[in-house]
Amino acid sequence: MSEGGRHERVAGSPYTPHTPAETAEMLAAVGVDSEAELFDVPPEVRFDGDLGIEPRSERELRAELSSVLAKNDDLTGFLGRDHHSHYVPSVVDDLSQRAEFLTSYTQYQPEIAQGFLQALFEYQSLVVELTGLPVANCSMYDAATALGEAARLADRVRKVSGSVVWVPEVLHENKRAVLESYVDGTDLAVETYPMAEGTVDVDALAELADGESAMIYAENPTVHGTIEERLSDVGDVADEAGALFCLGTDTVALGLLEEPASVGADVVVGEADALGLPTAYGMGLGLFATREAFLRQVPGRLVGAGEDAAGKRAYTLTLQTREQHIRKERATSNICTNQAWVALRTAMHLAWLGPDGLVDLASRCVREAESLSARLDEFPGVKAPVHDRHHFREFLVRTDQPAPAIARDLEADGFAVHVLDDHLLQICVTDVNADETDALVAAFEEAL
Amino acid sequence: MFEVPTDRKYQESHEYATTDGETATVGITDFAQDELGDVVFVELPEVGEEITQGEEFGVVESIKAVSDLYAPISGTVTAVNEDLFDRPELVNEEPYGDGWMLEVEVADDAAFDELLSADEYREQTE
Repeated sequence: MSEGGRHERVAGSPYTPHTPAETAEMLAAVGVDSEAELFDVPPEVRFDGDLGIEPRSERELRAELSSVLAKNDDLTGFLGRDHHSHYVPSVVDDLSQRAEFLTSYTQYQPEIAQGFLQALFEYQSLVVELTGLPVANCSMYDAATALGEAARLADRVRKVSGSVVWVPEVLHENKRAVLESYVDGTDLAVETYPMAEGTVDVDALAELADGESAMIYAENPTVHGTIEERLSDVGDVADEAGALFCLGTDTVALGLLEEPASVGADVVVGEADALGLPTAYGMGLGLFATREAFLRQVPGRLVGAGEDAAGKRAYTLTLQTREQHIRKERATSNICTNQAWVALRTAMHLAWLGPDGLVDLASRCVREAESLSARLDEFPGVKAPVHDRHHFREFLVRTDQPAPAIARDLEADGFAVHVLDDHLLQICVTDVNADETDALVAAFEEAL
Repeated sequence: MFEVPTDRKYQESHEYATTDGETATVGITDFAQDELGDVVFVELPEVGEEITQGEEFGVVESIKAVSDLYAPISGTVTAVNEDLFDRPELVNEEPYGDGWMLEVEVADDAAFDELLSADEYREQTE
């Protein structure tokens, strides 16, 4: 504390505890007078303006935030399309918010972070169990990132010349955009194959996929909620074309649908945050699992288990030599971080549900969608689901009347649904909004 | 002191190649394996592939680093040491013996003239 009674501002954080004297000593050692001189940022790229941040008291800040938050609507969401809301048990909040897990310090140093590393190892183990594939990383940013990484993996592991990444025509636009970004600058090209009645048109795909194919991507369930019934055939098409078969799915769906390994999936990607995290402005948790043969080509981080010098089980990041901090431009991927804390929450939620709980939840996603779509289908001028398929959580609704107008009326009654085009809506129902379906059906009838 | 046998020639980047007859055996030196530490993985080309002097032909990965392997001579790969896929530690144990990596049908004997002799290589590592 200085004489004036004010706290002296010390540069750095508690994790970089350099005193001004130490900083000066280091600057002297490299022969510069100041940090500004050391970093030498050209004046033309420096920001020299006013950030416009006014100081506020805590009380003022809370009041302001409350007024901003009050602008949020209070709609009951029947929204899905890759972000699914399931009830997150309070045990997940309680445990994941323990200080040991919430530290901002890196969780990867084995000498101080055995607990977190073990949690991530458990997450990987759960993903392995759900997918049937022997290797899972300890997460990626989201499903779209994982898909992009899968395409790059296909490019690395395949020795033939093919460079086409086949994706279904029904694909979330954000996923497609991220995939396109990922393949930009490589020799890969993204091409679209058709769907038939909401699922993969296997015959058309077989016609299209040839030796030029690097990867075939399919989803189960699709972004429209349809359940694929011929995934083994898709796997066979990929095999015959010498392409990698990448399957997109999520942690809840895996509780009920065919095991990806059994239908020939080489890579499984998707949103793992269907469990553990409420839907939050598009934040995700990328699932990534693959075959053992591709272990050294897996992007991101893997936690491995071994033994310490005393023979006790110990955890550490493994295969780090594939990461960019060691291998720079030849790294497996430019991803250098993951979603550790979200993965922790997903692992907790999965463990809490257990195998039976997960199957119950997944089954409910089928039953609720079936029941709600059947009720809407009874209204004249409405067809639901549009596709004559089994559905998981979501389905399309075709309306003779303009879909945007119906959605606006539903919104006025407190419900949010997706509008896909002039006569097409998409509705998603899970355990979270299932109790509101009576009210939704009533509002829907009124809106017609 | 690292072993530098005189029956083969060396590249500055620490690969060796034998010079007897038409087929060369390629691997990394005793010095290189010691610098790398425990080798955990070796990625090698397939039989039939061409390698070119001075260009990468594979990757050797230890617990602390990943290094590219550079071909000491040009030619066609006729054999790959598959034992290394299960036992990469052979590179540490016997770099000049069971830890060999490739057998190569040499394209041009003259290429050996560009490599270092055992004495020259030893000088480089001292």
